[in-house]
Amino acid sequence: MRILLSLAAILPAMAMAHAAERPPSDEVVSDISTREIAIKSNFAGIEILIFGSIDFSARSVPERGTYDVVVVIRAPGQALVARRKQRVAGIWVNGPGETYPDVPGFYAVLSTRPLRAITSAETLESLGVGLGNLDFGTRMKDDPEEENYRSAVIDLKERQRLFQEDDDGVTFIGRSLFRASVDLPANVPIGRYTADVYLFRDGKVVSENQSTLRVNKVGFERLVYLLASRYPFIYGLIAVVIAVIAGLIGWVAFRRE
Amino acid sequence: MLQVYLPIAEMSVNLLVMLGLGAAVGFLSGMFGVGGGFLLTPFLIFSGISAPIAVATGANQIVATSVSGALAQWRRNNIDFRMGTVLIAGGVAGAFIGVLLLKVLREAGQAGLIISLTYVALLGTIGTLMLAESIRAIRRARAGRPPSGRRPGQHNWVHGLPLKMRFPRSRLYISAIPPLVIGWVVGLLTAFLGVGGGFIMVPAMIYLLRMPTNIVIGTSTFQIIFVTAVVTILHASINNSLDVVLALMLAAGGVMGGQFGVRAGQKLRGEQLRALLALLVLGVAVRLFLDLVLKPEDLYTITPLLRGA
Repeated sequence: MRILLSLAAILPAMAMAHAAERPPSDEVVSDISTREIAIKSNFAGIEILIFGSIDFSARSVPERGTYDVVVVIRAPGQALVARRKQRVAGIWVNGPGETYPDVPGFYAVLSTRPLRAITSAETLESLGVGLGNLDFGTRMKDDPEEENYRSAVIDLKERQRLFQEDDDGVTFIGRSLFRASVDLPANVPIGRYTADVYLFRDGKVVSENQSTLRVNKVGFERLVYLLASRYPFIYGLIAVVIAVIAGLIGWVAFRRE
Repeated sequence: MLQVYLPIAEMSVNLLVMLGLGAAVGFLSGMFGVGGGFLLTPFLIFSGISAPIAVATGANQIVATSVSGALAQWRRNNIDFRMGTVLIAGGVAGAFIGVLLLKVLREAGQAGLIISLTYVALLGTIGTLMLAESIRAIRRARAGRPPSGRRPGQHNWVHGLPLKMRFPRSRLYISAIPPLVIGWVVGLLTAFLGVGGGFIMVPAMIYLLRMPTNIVIGTSTFQIIFVTAVVTILHASINNSLDVVLALMLAAGGVMGGQFGVRAGQKLRGEQLRALLALLVLGVAVRLFLDLVLKPEDLYTITPLLRGA
């Protein structure tokens, strides 16, 4: 609530700054319930809330129009390989695959209505909004085979809940407040996430706003992760020492002599 | 509930399931007197852990079991340290090759396949041989005949090789080449499959090197400590595939399960135990084989691109 209040305080200033360059228009502001997500050993996923409001103060008489909000949450990209299994001598073997240099580690689109009802396919494509409009760091070829790999990536990520599309995920509370909640599953990658909020009026983007959140491993999880990635030799050595101690304990505790 | 996040595997597993898995494998290895790596790694793969992580973590787990085992054998003076050292030298060389092989295969997206195929071949062969042998033994016991003692000949081709060394504890004067080669093969298997390799090493030491049987188990367990330790460190350094949180859960379960297994094993006769173990080994091989030949639910897989690939 404090965040909301402080946002309300800076809204007029923001509106004025924009008013100088654009004709008076509606502004959208937003924030995320949790700016830091800590992955600890008991991390089993978390629900985050994106909330915001539309500021109509720039216009004296509220205009008629259909307002829609689209929220896009995105984690940093990762390079990955998609492979298709094929049968070789009765055994299913991974065939050659497609490499995608920049696949978001997490990607969720939430909207007040189905995306296609909000705006045109061209607008969505130019904004890069929607699972079908992710380019994964390579230009889309008109190749049905490549298209299969691309849709397999989307499909697998959707099943891991790492890609989500929810066409009534954003709900309005009254005329200007809205909220959207997203479930981050346990397997979310770490990094700096962005939440982009687009305000559409009659199918056109009239305002956008971005906020960020960080997903980090903390405590023991972070220690293990850092050790394993920066000092893998020492990490391996520690693992061996722990195993030797476990073996000694087992021997001392249970020896029959 | 009780979900535990694995920082390297980057997934969440159930604590009780993993403790139970460690305990079950510990129970079986205590019962049958085996290391249990050849059960643990496939079980981890069945529970959804990726094959390279299952292999590295399995190897780490065997360090713990073999330390307790080797200490017990050392108290009974059943370790030939000289032979053990030669086996370790071969094993470390094999481990390097195995870890690099796994890295290359992983980058080509074929690690899971080749690991499964090797397991199917190895477990299928060993399971069949053991089952046939134990059925013969059970029949003999039923017919009332005494178990046939195979008497190994005094010399074989192994004794004609150069580089002879004296192994006083085993009362042997043989070439160092056969133990080096045996160690090398076992090191390769450890790095590639996450097994201790006792099931290969013990018969090889008895039938090829003609070592006294009482010293074979102790010496192989001694070798396994060092080779699995080297494999653990190499996998951590080269493949980043060791998950210490998973290893901890498995070790805790394993220590508990092992003790009950030893007691259960004492209630069964030797040939019955071997028949049961053979069936278990064949079961794992069949399951791995079915996963390879049945049409997978998902033809497509996605894997993160590895560094350097």
